[in-house]
Amino acid sequence: MTPRRGRLAAGLAALVLAAGCSAASAGRGDEPPEAAATTAPAAAGGVDAARGFRSTRGYRATPVPVRIEIPRIGVASRLDRLGRAPDRTVEVPSRWEVAGWYAPGTRPGDPGSAVILGHVDSKRGPAVFFRLRELRRGDEIVVVRADGSSVRFAVERTEQYDKQRFPTDAVYYPTLTPALRLVTCGGEFDATAGHYRSNVIVFASLRP
Amino acid sequence: MRSRTGPIILAVVLFAAAAACDSGTSKQASAPASTQAGEHTEHQGGVAPAATPKELAAQLQQYFAVHTLLALRHTRSVLTANPAYREAADHELEEYTGELAEIVGGAYGDAEGDRFEQVWEKTTADVGAYADAVAGKDAAAKEQARAALLADADAYGSWLAAASDGRADADRATADLRTHVRQLMDQADAYAGRDYDRAYRIERDAYEHMFAAGTSLAKASATAKEAATLDTPTEKLRAAFAMLLGEHMQLIIDTQRATFAGAPEFEAAAAQVNANTTALTQGMGALVGPRKAAEFQSAWAEHVEGLLDYSTAVAGNDQAEKAVARERMRGYGARLALYLSDIVRNELPLEPITQALGAHDQHLVDQIDAYAAKRFDEAQELEVDGYGQMLGVANTLVGAIQRTVKPQLPVGGSQTGGGGTARRR
Repeated sequence: MTPRRGRLAAGLAALVLAAGCSAASAGRGDEPPEAAATTAPAAAGGVDAARGFRSTRGYRATPVPVRIEIPRIGVASRLDRLGRAPDRTVEVPSRWEVAGWYAPGTRPGDPGSAVILGHVDSKRGPAVFFRLRELRRGDEIVVVRADGSSVRFAVERTEQYDKQRFPTDAVYYPTLTPALRLVTCGGEFDATAGHYRSNVIVFASLRP
Repeated sequence: MRSRTGPIILAVVLFAAAAACDSGTSKQASAPASTQAGEHTEHQGGVAPAATPKELAAQLQQYFAVHTLLALRHTRSVLTANPAYREAADHELEEYTGELAEIVGGAYGDAEGDRFEQVWEKTTADVGAYADAVAGKDAAAKEQARAALLADADAYGSWLAAASDGRADADRATADLRTHVRQLMDQADAYAGRDYDRAYRIERDAYEHMFAAGTSLAKASATAKEAATLDTPTEKLRAAFAMLLGEHMQLIIDTQRATFAGAPEFEAAAAQVNANTTALTQGMGALVGPRKAAEFQSAWAEHVEGLLDYSTAVAGNDQAEKAVARERMRGYGARLALYLSDIVRNELPLEPITQALGAHDQHLVDQIDAYAAKRFDEAQELEVDGYGQMLGVANTLVGAIQRTVKPQLPVGGSQTGGGGTARRR
């Protein structure tokens, strides 16, 4: 292989330093060198268009989710807003029959993993996500937003994790791909503690 | 894998360097040891080797993505019959191909690096032949070049399957490169047909495709365990933001240069800048929420407009307007730095961020000055150097953001069951 100049990856540190320092130390108010006499002629149309350019603004937040529907398992629930409890665990819905959206996280349809939680059961019987574990690849999940619009997701997989090894990053960590995670309880029930030992998690992606 | 340093290390160096600048002097003699090491590596004449699969992935993402853009710009230099620009693009492509092959050789062994270089040089030459055929309206030569490029994709697939001892699937690798060469050909056709909207849309797609192909090439050189480190949420987030911020840099360059073309080309390029800004804003929303995302978009818009105001002044050869634009850019840069410093909550101090953004602006200012003066070699070098610097900024910023985000995530599983009914069914 022929020798390379190594100008980029290898030597970039020096260049970065030089660029950074020259910007700072050479006086950033200094004018750049004057263009040579051979300055390229500009097409008038391009300059005029450039003068009219405006960068995109007016970012509008996606409306918050208010309802979830999962036809395959007969779920149709409004959504409560959930946060983080003082012990840093996620809050859970206050009612067995109502699911909740983790509001500090992603809004469904935005880049990132939106998280919706629901109880699997109560002491008296099934709760809103009782049948969540039945979801299979391709099943549809519909989230309705406050403005009446809806966003659809398709189940990729359903998995169960011991709560001691909950995959926090896979559920909550930011990503630039729109995704949805549904979380409920599963596995063995610890009667002494009054809790299940595992969580069932549905991983879903935005349906085109 | 050999010991390497790479863009991730450079990201650290970036802020160390900025800090050194900030520490009160303009003397480069006070540069930190890490920077001196970088200079030493450069004198040895080789691309610094990556120490980890993540570093290798970052290098290959960078080199594949930039090579794609250099090829596109080379094509445009042919189609606009600009021999001086073409010569500069040729030179940059040749050197970039060599450096890319060296990185590949570091990961797969020197012999495989040489084989890759042969495949890549031929592909690059065939892209040039396609551009010549389009420019010359020579249908037969065009078909010949098309067939050659598709054969190049086959050769790449076969090479990668062999070089990776079967870890990479030949058909899949071939399909990836076929997508790449088709994008390059489609871009040439669209540009020649003055369908600039399509040409610049394809450019973004082609850039993003090859950025991802860099990840695939890095994975194929690694064990399954090593490759898994490239699929973690943290690494995916870093790569996604690096891709978008690098894309910003390149699209600004496109748009600056398009100021010298007609309105349709400028508007097409500018539309892609706005598309990138939208994607970046949505990405920031995923990290910092919608309110902060809106603040980001506002600060970013000023940054973008400042850069394009400057290039407009350059194209109009208006010295007073240039001075005003530079003054505004300083203010915009300060505001953007303040925003970024705020969201990373002391993970990075304000001054290095300001310095890094200033260096980014300086690259873009210098490159359009060079381009306007027809110093195309210098403009091309500033383009690739500025891109590397931007990736350094991206990697460092995302690292700081990640350290800010992580402690805010909920801890452990959820108590979403109350009675054991589910267990009994």
